[in-house]
Amino acid sequence: MYLIPVMCLGVIIGRWIFPEKYKKLNERLQTICTIILIFCMGVTLGSRDNFLSELKSLGVQSFLFFFIPTALSVILVFVFTRRLMDKHREVKK
Amino acid sequence: MVILALLALFAGIACGLSGAGASVLSFLTSHVDIILCLLMFLVGISVGLHRGLLANLRKYHIRIFIIPAGVVAGSLAGGMLCGLVTPFTMGESTAVACGLGWYSLTGVTLGNLAGAQVGSIAFLSNLMREIFSFFCIPILSRRLNSYSCIASAGATSEDTTLPMMIKYTDEETVVLSVINGVICSALVPVLISVCYQIF
Repeated sequence: MYLIPVMCLGVIIGRWIFPEKYKKLNERLQTICTIILIFCMGVTLGSRDNFLSELKSLGVQSFLFFFIPTALSVILVFVFTRRLMDKHREVKK
Repeated sequence: MVILALLALFAGIACGLSGAGASVLSFLTSHVDIILCLLMFLVGISVGLHRGLLANLRKYHIRIFIIPAGVVAGSLAGGMLCGLVTPFTMGESTAVACGLGWYSLTGVTLGNLAGAQVGSIAFLSNLMREIFSFFCIPILSRRLNSYSCIASAGATSEDTTLPMMIKYTDEETVVLSVINGVICSALVPVLISVCYQIF
């Protein structure tokens, strides 16, 4: 939860202090941080004991447990927001 | 970006498996919170640079809860469906699905509650959800709408998948994404224990 105050601090700095001309640099730094984070995720995964054997034996079931709930979430949110939220955005535009 | 992310993921897995540069890697992975913190700060700056954002968000009112409600309902329904097609009980299946992508917490919690096998499935399936979200955000934002990207990310929409949101959607979606992530993260521990006990 400490990430939210950090983000709020960033919002304040972006709103009142940060020069707009450095917007691109900010985006590039975000990309670098993201790549490092994904790399770390991979390292954590690879160094997990029995990672490959777990993936082999439980991979199919894990895939089902990931795919069905994720797909249903996406479908439901798409249907709900298309009916109830996209109109708001169109009006805004 | 997606290719870079894929390369980073596979390079990380290869390094983790081989154990090459163990001291550097362990330093990096133990300080991952600092990188995440820096990333959130930079994302905050991007949001702050977008003028008139808060006024736009106020117009959503109660509809701001539509996305987390859809994420939870879809995941719960998906868990029930998994319970029908796998040998696991309905309680175990719904609890695994209600991890909403928070693999570390769900894996450990269900490992303790339901045993190592369910714990491993909870870990792997929620990890797959996070990785899938990373790589599907560009497609979902183009083919469906930007809110759908938040749905696939689930509880991770407030931190790890946020940079992809800001890259492929807009600042308004990023703030909705953070709100969804906070609500989902707060709900995950409750949902896991309630689902496991009730079903």
